[in-house]
Amino acid sequence: MWFTFNNRIRTFLAPAWRQYAAAILAVVVVSAIGFLFQDWVNYQTLAMFYLIAQVLLALVVGRWPTLLAAVLSAIIWEYVFVPPMYSFELEGLYDEMTVLTYCVVALVASELTARLRAHQETELKAQLLSESEKLGRTLLNSVSHEFRTPLSAILGATANLRAQGGISASQDRLIGEIESAGARLNRIVQSLLSAARLQGGQLQTRMDWCEARDVINASLRESAGLLNGHPIETKIAAGPHLARMDFVLMQQALSNLIANAAIHTPSGTPIEVSARFEDKQLLLQVADRGPGLPAGQKEHVFDAFRRLPNAKPGGVGLGLAIVKGFVEAQGGRVAAANGTNGGAIFNIWMPAADNPELPEETL
Amino acid sequence: MNDLTSTTELSALVIDDEPQIQRLVTTVLEANGYRVATASSGAEGLATLVQQRQDLILLDLGLPDISGIAVLKRLREWTQTPVVILTVHDGEPEKIEALDSGADDYVTKPFSSGELLARLRAALRRADRNKAEEPVQRFGNITVNLAARLVTRENQAVKLTSTEYSLLRLFVQHVGKVLTHRQVLREVWGPEHEQKTQYLRVYVQRLRDKLEPNPDSPVFFLTESGIGYRFSAS
Repeated sequence: MWFTFNNRIRTFLAPAWRQYAAAILAVVVVSAIGFLFQDWVNYQTLAMFYLIAQVLLALVVGRWPTLLAAVLSAIIWEYVFVPPMYSFELEGLYDEMTVLTYCVVALVASELTARLRAHQETELKAQLLSESEKLGRTLLNSVSHEFRTPLSAILGATANLRAQGGISASQDRLIGEIESAGARLNRIVQSLLSAARLQGGQLQTRMDWCEARDVINASLRESAGLLNGHPIETKIAAGPHLARMDFVLMQQALSNLIANAAIHTPSGTPIEVSARFEDKQLLLQVADRGPGLPAGQKEHVFDAFRRLPNAKPGGVGLGLAIVKGFVEAQGGRVAAANGTNGGAIFNIWMPAADNPELPEETL
Repeated sequence: MNDLTSTTELSALVIDDEPQIQRLVTTVLEANGYRVATASSGAEGLATLVQQRQDLILLDLGLPDISGIAVLKRLREWTQTPVVILTVHDGEPEKIEALDSGADDYVTKPFSSGELLARLRAALRRADRNKAEEPVQRFGNITVNLAARLVTRENQAVKLTSTEYSLLRLFVQHVGKVLTHRQVLREVWGPEHEQKTQYLRVYVQRLRDKLEPNPDSPVFFLTESGIGYRFSAS
């Protein structure tokens, strides 16, 4: 109740001129009351009324209008009400002290209230923000769940159908069609969810030490079904290749690059996946022997839904945008180039300046 | 193995609120000789478990009433029945929490029935093996003699540092099971090194270099992305 009321007042008082008007109005109203009832209300009691008005005002308007009201009320009160009336003169130490006290209390009360309000507002904003983030995450999780459940049923049922045996060759082929369509749909859902997470800022990274060799192996395993007859060559020198990364995101980024190379280059041409240190960075690289990138496209290949003019069908045009989003979320960067002996090269750089502490041990 | 699956019928409880997943898992399990009970909520699952003993539990993490993790923690208070978690692709933190809370393994939706059955068999085998552990174990051309602390590859002794051996022993003792980074670091390096994943990365690579037929495409020391490692017997 109070909250909505308060909100309404604040909305009404949003323009600055209204706040100053409210400040002047408050002082005028209290002064008028004091003037009309001056036979019953002495100047000390009136000071209390001014203070109450001051604090209430500070709750709904900003710091400067409150300050204006404080100064204005002090002047009017002293000039009109403090004896002798209609003069700035004061009779003795007691009145001097009263005026001084009023000014100090008015200023301090407005300042404290303003601070309290500012603090409350920041907290409210943070709370609203975290609630909307939470809502976004919950929504994405439930969408993900709604897509995955039927997909699980389709893929699980086909595999089980085949395992039960007694099916003809053409039935087997049809089951295969359902399976590959289900797997493809699953990849599309995965891409769309990843893109939605990136777009909504819902992506949370879990950075930890990862071994490049491990990440590459995992991506190769993940994209194994998409290789389409492309042989893979991995090149990593002996010894640890550690960097701080989010394993799952980096695996997905590399898989997307490998799948991209497999789709857009002639079947049978090799794809080279490598890792090495360069300028205190870990460089993860996917190079193909395809036609390479057309001039002027290197900067745009990572844009969402951007497809090269002669691109083969397959994918929804999000793969490389996800690569860029995932890598940048981990504090790395991506770039595309053409190799000296043809083919496109996709690079991922991750900072690797701080070498991890490693245990020493001998046989 | 055979004495496990063929002589007595195994019982499994499926706790999942999705009727479609329930039906699918039930069909797959029944076709493979399991007796299946189902529950659609955490409370129902726990109640069913109290009434009848189960050999296996399949638990979905996203339940309508109490979280799957809470169900897991509650049932781990009184039973060591193997629990395999059903979860979705992006749920790595959730998977880690489940594994650290006593889950035996997980399958990610969408899963194939072959994968599901393999995970269940491995979990059952481990539950059975815990009773009597073999001192000498063979994996391909590798032999690990836990009694003599001896490791051979193609009948040649393999020299391992004491940390490498501790890590290998941990993997061998949990063959087929996924171990989280935290679990391994805690066991091999101690609780104060729980966060030092870099140790683990380097030492797993060393074991691969010494024991894998092809270190660049491992068959024994498998990486579980973002979660940990699994030592595979095949």
